[in-house]
Amino acid sequence: MGSEKPSRYWKSWEEGPGATGLVQISTSEFPEPLDRPAEQFNRRSFLKAAGFAAAVAAAGAGCSRAPVEKAIPYLIQPEEIVPGVSYFYASTCGGCATGCGVLVKNLDGRPIKLEGNPEHPLSRGGLCAVGQASLLALYDSQRLKAPQAKGRIASWQEVDEQIAAQLASIRTSGGAVRVLSGTISSPTLNAEIQKFLLQFRDARHVVYDGLSSSAILDAHQQTHGERLLPHYRFNRATVIVSFDADFLGTWISPVEFSRDFADGRRIDSRSPQMSYHAQLESRMSLTGSKADRRISVEPHELGEIMLRIGARLAQLAGSAFPIAARTQDNSYDTVIEDLARRLWESRGRSLVVCGSQDVRLQILGNFINDLLGNYGATLDIERPSQQRQGNDANLQSLLDDLDKGNVAALFLHGVNPAYDLPGGQALVQAIERTPLVVSFAERLDETSALAHFICPDHHPLESWSDAEPVRGTLGIFQPAIHPLGKTRPVLESLAIWRGQPRPAYDILRDHWRGSVFPQQTIEPDFQTFWDRSVEAGYSEIRLKTSKPPRFQAASLKPFSQSSPAAGELSLVLYPKISMLDGRHAENPWLQELPDPISKVTWDNYACLSPGTAQRLGLREGDVVRLEVDIDAVHSPPLELPVFIQPGQHDQVIAVALGYGRKSTERFANAGPKWLFGGSDVDEDGRIGKNTAPMLALVGGSLQYIRDNVRLSKIGKRHALASTQTHHSLTMPRELPIVGGEHRDIVRETTIAALLAGEKKTVPVSPATNGLWPADHRYTGHRWAMAIDLTACTGCSGCVIACQAENNIPVVGKDEVLRHREMHWMRIDRYYTGEQDVDVVYQPMLCQQCDNAPCETVCPVLATVHSAEGLNQQIYNRCVGTRYCANNCPYKTRRFNWFDYVRNDRLQNLVLNPDVTVRSRGVMEKCSFCVQRIEVARIESNRVGKPIADGQIQTACQQSCPSQAIVFGDLNDPNSRVAQMARDPRRFGVLEEFNFRPAVNYLTVVRNRDSHEENSKVNQNNG
Amino acid sequence: MNSRVVTAVLIVGLAFSFLTVTQQLGSWHLPGNQQGYEPVQPIAFSHRLHAGEMQISCLYCHSGAEVSRHAGIPAASTCMNCHRFVSAPLGALRAEDEKAKQENRRPRPLVSPEIQKIYDALALDDHLTRDPQKFLQPVAWTRINRLPDFVYFNHSAHVNSGVACQKCHGPIETMDRVRQAPDLTMGWCVNCHRTANAAGVASRPVQPSTDCSTCHY
Repeated sequence: MGSEKPSRYWKSWEEGPGATGLVQISTSEFPEPLDRPAEQFNRRSFLKAAGFAAAVAAAGAGCSRAPVEKAIPYLIQPEEIVPGVSYFYASTCGGCATGCGVLVKNLDGRPIKLEGNPEHPLSRGGLCAVGQASLLALYDSQRLKAPQAKGRIASWQEVDEQIAAQLASIRTSGGAVRVLSGTISSPTLNAEIQKFLLQFRDARHVVYDGLSSSAILDAHQQTHGERLLPHYRFNRATVIVSFDADFLGTWISPVEFSRDFADGRRIDSRSPQMSYHAQLESRMSLTGSKADRRISVEPHELGEIMLRIGARLAQLAGSAFPIAARTQDNSYDTVIEDLARRLWESRGRSLVVCGSQDVRLQILGNFINDLLGNYGATLDIERPSQQRQGNDANLQSLLDDLDKGNVAALFLHGVNPAYDLPGGQALVQAIERTPLVVSFAERLDETSALAHFICPDHHPLESWSDAEPVRGTLGIFQPAIHPLGKTRPVLESLAIWRGQPRPAYDILRDHWRGSVFPQQTIEPDFQTFWDRSVEAGYSEIRLKTSKPPRFQAASLKPFSQSSPAAGELSLVLYPKISMLDGRHAENPWLQELPDPISKVTWDNYACLSPGTAQRLGLREGDVVRLEVDIDAVHSPPLELPVFIQPGQHDQVIAVALGYGRKSTERFANAGPKWLFGGSDVDEDGRIGKNTAPMLALVGGSLQYIRDNVRLSKIGKRHALASTQTHHSLTMPRELPIVGGEHRDIVRETTIAALLAGEKKTVPVSPATNGLWPADHRYTGHRWAMAIDLTACTGCSGCVIACQAENNIPVVGKDEVLRHREMHWMRIDRYYTGEQDVDVVYQPMLCQQCDNAPCETVCPVLATVHSAEGLNQQIYNRCVGTRYCANNCPYKTRRFNWFDYVRNDRLQNLVLNPDVTVRSRGVMEKCSFCVQRIEVARIESNRVGKPIADGQIQTACQQSCPSQAIVFGDLNDPNSRVAQMARDPRRFGVLEEFNFRPAVNYLTVVRNRDSHEENSKVNQNNG
Repeated sequence: MNSRVVTAVLIVGLAFSFLTVTQQLGSWHLPGNQQGYEPVQPIAFSHRLHAGEMQISCLYCHSGAEVSRHAGIPAASTCMNCHRFVSAPLGALRAEDEKAKQENRRPRPLVSPEIQKIYDALALDDHLTRDPQKFLQPVAWTRINRLPDFVYFNHSAHVNSGVACQKCHGPIETMDRVRQAPDLTMGWCVNCHRTANAAGVASRPVQPSTDCSTCHY
């Protein structure tokens, strides 16, 4: 914590090491240029209009009565519902195939919030941003409300008759029937698909994932004789080496992995201990940003380094290693030696994960894990994961069949191949040529638009279903609302088409009775077992243990890695935590969620390293054209704005998948429309560009890395709505240094320093003769929060949880460009270093200061202090002077510049009735979820018991996958928040100014030997 | 002479307008203040009869008041708990019995027009079973005690602290047609919170908060 160089941390490249003086971090209130044509509507005419409006309003208000409001009660009172009381139903998240457990909060008959199910064995209370936002899709007015036949709305009877007729003729002719789906972990649906396919002579179920992990399964087929995906147990590992696997962000099961990872790194200040995590990757991923040692490598070097680590470990183990490494390059010798030594020392407690789609590298990874004895310890293959089952080789043969016209009927479930596969126009034509195409899509998307019949599935919150994300761990989906449209579950559709129509509930129950119930031993009768499972939302069954397959040494065969010529650029296509493979592109919450690393909203872009950008003479926002040769054919060129990403390898261009969806055309009116408003979508009417045409399906797996990319500047500019320099916390230079030193906004230390007992947090001695009298006594509760920055991964689940809980509007891209995003909680991301940067995340929300600077400046007392330490914002008193926002040192206040778009009546059902919907001209900010505090207080009065610690959970705390946030009563010395506030790692942001924030942060700890090594790492990998 | 007439006319005029304005002043409200609002309801339900004469507990119909933010308006099915058996006022039934005895015939079933509205809402036929030909028609009551959207009042917090219903709803057990008794302004709320803090509710000590976020969030 150097006191001479206070600004070790920087937020964007232009503001940090790349400072040219051209871009200055904005401290003014209006960051956008104020070059408005002032003559059209000047001050005088404004006053005239305002005066007239005020007179009319005053005259009108005095004479008018409030509008008549109707109160319509139930006709027949449902037994379990009391209006105004919320109920929680345990279910499973349908946001992706991971199958996390959720509790659906139902109020007045409709789901208004998803919370993580704390008892679920995998997610344990966490829920990611995508899961939180999947609630909004339920109320999407563009979901299909009825089936469609050949492009027009039809009745189910009509559709069923036509499909049945065509299937009957296929049955006699023996044509090929294919079901193409994403990963389905539902045992019932899989069984139903198999039953359906049994009627046909040539039938197959083909599975692929937009974010494929096919190579891991294929590698296990070769090394273990079984096509399986291990269940990774990060909490059991003390050394984790990840080769380009973004396991905290988007890889397989991020919520579960985040919790496991954080559990292995919880610091007890008395005996500090944590796991060691090294990340080798070519771009800056969320996982890499949390690594103790992050090594940025060229994508092709990954295999070489892995090979040499494998060879070194084989040498240490005294076993044979058949692959020779290329030895001309020794730049990574120290890294390899260090990692191999660490892995070897914690045999059986280490874990090597690899995100590559190269089967040979995956085999190598399996070899290393087997050599270290990690199978059975940190990798569970007895009860493997079923969260990604895609088989790209099968997909390849299906696409060939489609191309040759060999498929008679194609059923599509949960996939969008016309969008997310590289086939392009040829694939579209192949699908169009197929005689019968049936889609189960919930919306009209790129692929379902090609289908002859669309039989829309229920939203997961409307349907009965199940999931088995990990063998032996089953989840149940239960409906939380009556279906909003005339949709029908896939289970029922398939049952009807095979001539045995039954409700989905019966199909599900029968499957559980026949296949799941016999495998468990706890409950004696089925009904009890079923009731327990539905109530809990999940069920764990003990499987009969068979001997897990063993590693077959012969499977490791020599191979040589090709490496592109020096200086050539590779294209890396990666998923963002919000968009994944584009399946939720129509969700405005996710579109407006800033990417945790780049902080860009509403766009994808070409990430370049600062060095490469400088070499090519590119600035942020310059549009470049990217071209890749695909099978010697020119790919359609991709025109994307440049984003400068520190920490990325110089030879890499990284572009996010999942953008440019047709469904994003709806966002043309996402934000408020006003005189000077700009467009919220790109020129082509969509959000971002689709990068799927750049993918390659070669060698039986989808490849996300392409060589020999040509990049050319086209002389256009494109504004990126990046929030990274919005609301920056700054230390005014002209202020005297209080308490002797400048403190950084965020702090970090190493485990070595903690062990050496180095006292990192010098007790702050703020100016005692301050402005504020000590007049807050807090005789009852005193609400406070603690955030462990070591645990925080920046995943942004809290941001969306807060948005859902507190009715935070979406403002659209144009407004984000004007620094007017409304999120009450943001994740501040700071870089340190210049070459290989370190990243620190800091969730920033209203700090509920005891001595709040906002309170002293409000002229109408719209923001005042409560007796329990809350900094209250009273919307109905606020007149919108915005003095408070200007005086807030943490920049956590948000102003309603408009009445944001809320004209979709269906979508408004997602609003939380317990929180006011703010109107124009009102300031708002984090309230510590005071509505939850009030509910708990009233309930505790009712039952006559004091509020227990942990009874009140703020929305952000509840959904945090890594349990970084703790809320509670500081006046209770035994509460968790009070304990964390006494931790030696505790610090408050800007506390030297005597604001006395109620949010306590715990310093980031990295598993490094010392500060020296910290800087050494930075130099070595230059 | 002339000026005297003018003065007299002016004085009379002034007195007249003063009297008119003072009359109006009594019923003048600040915008949003709906005190005295007494709309006609779709069913002429009488609280005087049910709560006053019959002494039915408020919580029998407004059962949410103990557990929820909303007291709740009873569902039509709750009405049917009694009105399955009570279809007309006692006096009318007796009169019909008398008349039937005089005319030497069986008394005709009597249904009062207001109670018939409940049966219609539930689409019931003459034997009080569901008539598949009719549609269910929810009863749209006109809301009387209405707080702005930025105020969160919680019935259960007040009922469980011992605050009587009449404290906010006025002499409800005497009203044939319900009207808004207090002005429901913030000052009225806060005054009560302050007095309760000092004197308790029903001689029990309570600590109602006067923090803004008690009601505004």
